[in-house]
Amino acid sequence: MRDIIKHINDAIVVRDSLIYLIAIPACIVPALLLWPRTAGTGAERRAAAQGRTVIVYWDRHSGHEHESRRVLIEEFNESQNEVHVRTLPIGYNALMEKTLTSTAGGAPPDVLSVDGGIMAQLAAQGLFMPLDDLIAEVPILNPDAFMPHIWDMVCFDGHVWAIPTTTDTYCLLWNKSAFRRAGLDPERPPQTLKELEEYAAKLTIRAPSGAIEQMGFLPWLPWDQSFMWGVLFGGQWYNEETGLVETGSDPAIIASLAWQQSFTIDPSSDNNPPYALPAERIQSFTRGIGDYMSANNPFYSGKVAMISEGEWQVTFIPKYAPGLDWGVAPLPQPEGVPPIAFGPTCVADVIPVTARNPEAAKKFLRWFYSPRPDGRPSPASDYNHAIHNIPPRTEEALQDRFTAHPKFRVFVEQLLHRPVEAYPVTPCTQFLTDTIGRFREWVVFRRMTPEEAAMAIETLVNRELERTRALLERRRP
Amino acid sequence: MTRRERLHLRNGLLFAAPWVVGFLFFQLYPLLMSVYFSFTDYNVVHPPVWAGLDNYRELFFDDPLFWKALYNTLYFTVFSVPLSLVFSLSIAMLLNRKIPGMSVFRTVFFLPSIVPIVASSVLWLWVLNPESGLINSLLQQFLGIQGPGWLADARWAKPSLVLMSLWGIGGAMVIFLAGLAEVPQTLYEVAELDGAGRWAKFRNVTLPMLTPTILFNLVMGMIGAFQYFTQVYVMTGGTGSPMDSTMFYALYMYRMSFYYLRMGYASAMAWMLFVVILTATISVLISSKRWVYYHGD
Repeated sequence: MRDIIKHINDAIVVRDSLIYLIAIPACIVPALLLWPRTAGTGAERRAAAQGRTVIVYWDRHSGHEHESRRVLIEEFNESQNEVHVRTLPIGYNALMEKTLTSTAGGAPPDVLSVDGGIMAQLAAQGLFMPLDDLIAEVPILNPDAFMPHIWDMVCFDGHVWAIPTTTDTYCLLWNKSAFRRAGLDPERPPQTLKELEEYAAKLTIRAPSGAIEQMGFLPWLPWDQSFMWGVLFGGQWYNEETGLVETGSDPAIIASLAWQQSFTIDPSSDNNPPYALPAERIQSFTRGIGDYMSANNPFYSGKVAMISEGEWQVTFIPKYAPGLDWGVAPLPQPEGVPPIAFGPTCVADVIPVTARNPEAAKKFLRWFYSPRPDGRPSPASDYNHAIHNIPPRTEEALQDRFTAHPKFRVFVEQLLHRPVEAYPVTPCTQFLTDTIGRFREWVVFRRMTPEEAAMAIETLVNRELERTRALLERRRP
Repeated sequence: MTRRERLHLRNGLLFAAPWVVGFLFFQLYPLLMSVYFSFTDYNVVHPPVWAGLDNYRELFFDDPLFWKALYNTLYFTVFSVPLSLVFSLSIAMLLNRKIPGMSVFRTVFFLPSIVPIVASSVLWLWVLNPESGLINSLLQQFLGIQGPGWLADARWAKPSLVLMSLWGIGGAMVIFLAGLAEVPQTLYEVAELDGAGRWAKFRNVTLPMLTPTILFNLVMGMIGAFQYFTQVYVMTGGTGSPMDSTMFYALYMYRMSFYYLRMGYASAMAWMLFVVILTATISVLISSKRWVYYHGD
């Protein structure tokens, strides 16, 4: 009996073993068969088979702007047989998260385009490779050739961390049809801040219910621009000399916040300016407007008559609102403040510190920023031209193809002929701009006075600066 | 141990190995490391720098936004969880009737909870649009009143999200339906013999018999509400706007990690959230001895 049981047990063991022997390969083999041999397109696989180094480029731009870059990258891929570039539109929103995790994980792109405003912050945290050698060997990347505020933006701690590709500035855009309907001269934009306020009142149309049908002007459309208004009021958000934020004692900064606040009605006052509107109506209006990159953009659809916008609109408006009759002029400033241009940031190329093919990445960047062998401008210059951004190199910005367009010329001339203020180069610039935006809301919706907000910004940002600098100091070898 | 038992043990371990390895490397290890990181300044790229209790000190004494985020999250939890329980139980009661086509109704009410969160958030952005949204249009058209600014108004932003949370009650509703199916019919028959009406049957039979299900849904809902993130990230652009009214705890933690590269601080925040959730869960479990009835008690 015992022998029979033993035989049965053995048989069961053999059966189980056979099942596992069959089951495990049955799971693994299909997985191996389905596993992708190499990632990428057929062109990339062919390039790898030819012995070319395949590198990855993450583009901060998307949509038609990315498409313009992709075309140029294809030109690079066809122009030589050593490096093949694969480009992906990463966009702006998740750029920080993806950059951080991929760099930490040792699988970042080989080249990445980032916003100059946060470049120093990321470089300070050790995310990028210094590019001093590349700058030294490519003549066109001579620092003196760049607009000074742009070059300052990519330098931090004695090194160059990025190559500026494009830059921007803001002007006042106005809807000429709306001007005509309001009885204003469509060819004469507001020249002073006072006129801007008067025009804003005249151009605002409200429904019988009180809802805003057409907004004359709102300083925080299309997004928070408090930094720019502070600068245009002659204020200083960050003192380069002391390395501190001193907004609490800067009357121009406080005045700029108070001016933005004046666009919402103070319920406790009988003396509100004519352009002021009820806060809840403004909130409903701003929340209800359409997507920025679409025909529903409030300026394109005629819901906003005047807006502060960048030079890229020279491409965007014909694309999304071809029938729009619009003009462009420098933004009005308060009386007595010398003319200033706000050139907030740039888009710049960096190489992550853990990039796997830095030399191939540099080869691509060398090509992208150098004039072509046949004498044509650099691909970077073509890129700016295609998407109507301003080239950060002064000489390029002055070329006919950038100044010939009458509207685009207004932006370029402003940037070249006025003193330019930009985001400061600090290890906490993102925190600074976020904090300003946060407190602007508290001010304009009258939960805080401009003075209190300016002081709160000063306190919070200085504490963050102090903490970050102490940390960077401790990390220094 | 017989040969057969040894073989089974080996095979069992072999088959459990992927989960065990996954748990050790992808859950336990990060969990323990985050305890360590919470006492450091850490940006992921550089090795962490020991900071002692600085992160916790800053959280408690120097960061008003931390308290604001905690308040916003508690507000959302306190209002959304009970409301979701009431609505999901009410709908489950309605769907527990024996009428033709009930499975269709059940499917219809469950469908919203399987819509991806991002898609439903975008849909609700339109529903709550103050100018052209569904709710305000209906309010204006049928009642002639101007609806609130919803997400644009700091006073209405959190109530808007609470309202939107009812969209996802399908899961709790199904669990309640299962709980209702477990209530013995004999109890209803006995109650009827005693002259109980509908309300008395609900209060004295259904509700007590459902208390284990309510406890389960309460605990799970609470844990989910404390970790509320995706909807608010999609609907407000992750800014916490207007005026920090939608700065939820998980969103603030995310901003600290990926906007400001403060992983150490975010780890400290994560552990504080763990303490809050643990405290709330234990409190509910302790209180459940007073109000949860199990069969056989």
